[in-house]
Amino acid sequence: MCLALPSRVVELLDDDQAKVDLGGVIKAVSLSLVEDVAVGDYVIVHVGYALTKVDPAEAEKTLALFAEMQASGQSA
Amino acid sequence: MFTEASLHLTLRVDGPSVRTVLVRSSRMVQAARLFAGKQPVEVLQLLPAVFSLCGSAQALTGLAAMEKAAAIAASPAQKAARNLLLLAESVSEHGLTIARDWPLLAGAAPSLDHAKRLRHALAGLRKALYPDGDWLHLGGGQLAPDTDAIASIITQCRDTLTQLVGNDLDEVVQPIAFQAWLQRETNPLLALVTSRCWQGLGASAAFMPMPERGPPDLSARLQTDREGIYLARPDCAGRVFETGPLAHWYWHPLLTDLTDRFGTGLMTRLAARLVLLAESLREMAEHAHDLRAEPAAPLPRLDGHGLALTEAARGMLAHRVVLKEGLVGEYQILAPTEWNFHPEGPLVRMLTGAPADQDLELRARLLVHAMDPCVTCTIEVE
Repeated sequence: MCLALPSRVVELLDDDQAKVDLGGVIKAVSLSLVEDVAVGDYVIVHVGYALTKVDPAEAEKTLALFAEMQASGQSA
Repeated sequence: MFTEASLHLTLRVDGPSVRTVLVRSSRMVQAARLFAGKQPVEVLQLLPAVFSLCGSAQALTGLAAMEKAAAIAASPAQKAARNLLLLAESVSEHGLTIARDWPLLAGAAPSLDHAKRLRHALAGLRKALYPDGDWLHLGGGQLAPDTDAIASIITQCRDTLTQLVGNDLDEVVQPIAFQAWLQRETNPLLALVTSRCWQGLGASAAFMPMPERGPPDLSARLQTDREGIYLARPDCAGRVFETGPLAHWYWHPLLTDLTDRFGTGLMTRLAARLVLLAESLREMAEHAHDLRAEPAAPLPRLDGHGLALTEAARGMLAHRVVLKEGLVGEYQILAPTEWNFHPEGPLVRMLTGAPADQDLELRARLLVHAMDPCVTCTIEVE
């Protein structure tokens, strides 16, 4: 499934880029498709682009569900 | 630690051509099992949050499956509103692909501004239909369409796409106008495909479009799929269908014209994206006429089983749900990528036997793009 993994923005970089934290993994993504993103915000990332901003409470809830999915090994 | 789901393609070369194509998937096809035991209303809230690219399609397919299970019929106005949201998501997805991915595949700079404007315009549609935010209410939410705002969103999308392709979209999807547009070489990807004579790439493979109402055995296969084998590798009596823009629109005049000349190859598949965009905008304008204000429906008793199919951005999406005593008993989701990237599916058929020259990886990447996975797909030639 194209699961929406919420990533937390940890640092804003030049050229509309940012570093995000996805469950402990830090990577650089483009912010070209979203507006008004600040450090601490959660974004949904897909193939290197932040697609949408998500409410932190909703992000935590989604991450908890994903943790449950991974723990129960619901993979192909 | 979370890992993003992905697909990995291995092309095994033997002499002058690709002998075998292996597909490895880490997609969590049984993730929906975790919905068992939850309240239907809670699952409907989770669906758009859990799926990144097709949140509206996933949520609305889930809603339709639950309504079938509970024997509720949504009104024509509710159906029109939901269709508008589904089509808007397709326009947003394919618009993003044409703005961002097409130039990148041809080594050109992406038009991210167009993609951003399109997404920004479409983001206002849910509120313009359901101002209370209850678009996933079983039986239909409080529908209060702001017709001016909806018309303006459709116009903004049309204008942005016209600027993006450098021509009126309705005109571009007419066979003669398409040829004239191609000759102007406005689009770097289509110019690359034409200059390398790759229009027919993948056309020698059998084209098996998904039946309009889905595979005839879909319900029975889902019902008996205890291990999730069908969800991971679906088929219908051994046949693996293709789903997506070309499978849905292959009878369109532009696509029949291109199929006559190049077969169901790369150019026809790329053009199918443009057809989908033009037709989706036309259908959105039609659905907008069927909207009317309606109060939210009362919540019914929830028991039974339901299967719903929708044509999502990447093809047929199926949700099956069993409701027991007001709770979700079983939940299954079958997504388009499982058909298109099946180990014996359309992409594998197109790549098996392909000439193994220095361009193989690039051609494979173009065909992967044409089949449009909803997760990252890496390619390895060995």
